[in-house]
Amino acid sequence: MKQITAILDGFGSTWLLLVRSLSYAGTLPRQYRRFFEQCYLIGYTTLPIVAILSFFIGSVLALQAGYSMQNFGTQQFIGSLVGLSMARELGPVMVAILLAGRVGSAITAELASMKVYQEIDALVTMNIPPARMLVLPRLAATLVMVPVLAIIADLVGWFGGAIVAKYTAMISIEPEAYFAVLRRYTHFKDVLNGLIKAELFGFVVVLVCCNIGLNTRGGPREIGASVTRAVVVSLILILVLDYFVTQVLMPLQ
Amino acid sequence: MNNLQQTTRVGLFFILGIALIWVTFQTLSGGKIFREKGYSLIAGFESLKELKKGDEVRMAGVVIGAVEETRLAGRRAEAVLRIHPEVQIKNDATATIVMAGLIGTNYIGIDLGTPGAPALRDGAEIRTKATPDLTAIMTQMGVLGKKLEGALGSISTAVTGDGKTPGLFQKLDKLVSDNGENVNATVANIRQVSDKLNKGEGTLGKLLNDPKLHDDLVATVNEIKGTAAEAKTFVANAQAIVDQVKAGKGTLGALVYDDTTGNDIKASVKNIRDISDKITRGEGTLGKLINDDSTLRDAQAIMKKADRALDGLDDTGPITAVGVVARGLF
Repeated sequence: MKQITAILDGFGSTWLLLVRSLSYAGTLPRQYRRFFEQCYLIGYTTLPIVAILSFFIGSVLALQAGYSMQNFGTQQFIGSLVGLSMARELGPVMVAILLAGRVGSAITAELASMKVYQEIDALVTMNIPPARMLVLPRLAATLVMVPVLAIIADLVGWFGGAIVAKYTAMISIEPEAYFAVLRRYTHFKDVLNGLIKAELFGFVVVLVCCNIGLNTRGGPREIGASVTRAVVVSLILILVLDYFVTQVLMPLQ
Repeated sequence: MNNLQQTTRVGLFFILGIALIWVTFQTLSGGKIFREKGYSLIAGFESLKELKKGDEVRMAGVVIGAVEETRLAGRRAEAVLRIHPEVQIKNDATATIVMAGLIGTNYIGIDLGTPGAPALRDGAEIRTKATPDLTAIMTQMGVLGKKLEGALGSISTAVTGDGKTPGLFQKLDKLVSDNGENVNATVANIRQVSDKLNKGEGTLGKLLNDPKLHDDLVATVNEIKGTAAEAKTFVANAQAIVDQVKAGKGTLGALVYDDTTGNDIKASVKNIRDISDKITRGEGTLGKLINDDSTLRDAQAIMKKADRALDGLDDTGPITAVGVVARGLF
């Protein structure tokens, strides 16, 4: 019973936080410095790991697809498989998971320590709502940066697949053929679909992480517990949301 | 300063992302979401088979557009084709659904049409032709297979028999077993003959085995050849003569082809006939000679007198003879 209340409490406080921070949206231009700082942290510093991971995700996708497709002799369609999977599913999900692991955990840790060390209380006392100063710039930065990360993940993953397709003996598809098939069967709406998903996931991850950080209670030990909870909840939400968002977006093709 | 650098990096990063999204969009969709380029044509088919939205439209193998929409229109299926604006499709061009692969990739193929025909305009309907799809071909194959099976079955019955009437093989078997002795004897005879041939016995054997005989045969053949050549020359000459005759040259030619000669001959023959008639009737000297006995008798009498005179000459001796000769001389 207590856990159910905790879950409902989590949902409710997250929604409230969202509404509250959006109500301060007009103050964003005045906080542009914070906004850019968060953009830097969320987008720029996350780029290398996104690039590396998506390269290998694309590679292994091509490798596995080539292995299973050689049973039917349809290796030439590997480009469409890698293209569609990266654009529609793996790109956005990968970006969201990396965001949860690298950015979300950092946000929760920062906000939880601020909460634990009563910096948040000090802000509230000074009539500076944490939703305005701490949450809004992060959400805005996420909205701006995540599509960029997602498109880079897609493209790098495609190239990784192309390289594996060329240099793996059982596939041996030239990059021209690979990209011709990819272009033929992957449409921009698939990429757009992925970008929408990535945007949504990133937004939810950052919002949840902010909320869990701000709702930390107790001593410094709680900071670690909050970070763990934030990452776990983020991952669960990403994969659950993924299914339903895909279902919703599918008929819109 | 550090802050500005940070802002710059973020700005650059964001612009890079937007640029990448734009490039992807242009590459994958060719900018189709915002504006529809080109004009549309309607192609009605009995069945669109596996054709779907976004499939290619090709003219002579070149991609000239895409299937924009597929829909049912009354008793037929319609595909709306979006064609590039620079491509003109003649109004007698025909659209077909072409199967590009076995795993369900189709495209609409449009032929070139005749050069002088007017081009189709936006919203026009293009002529279509139904092509058999894989299922239809497979069904036909099935029917064909059944027929083949029937034919093979009847052949098999004919060969092996159906229990009541004996089959071909049984008949052959019976034939061979019934006539085994005869066949063996015949084979033995044939073998004897071939042995003899091999050993050079008999005319044929000698011919086969004796080189001299062979040489003779060759010589004979050569002679025949020579004779034939001569015969050829002779025939050629004869031909030349015949040609001359035909041309009316020479006596024979004149004889055959000249009317005057013929008439002369006729006249001569008539004369001869007249003469012989007269002779037969005993007219004239010759006739009398031939037909009158008196003349013969006269002649006999004269001959007798001459005989006697000659006898008398014998008695007078050679002097008289010399005197006669001398009298004759002087």
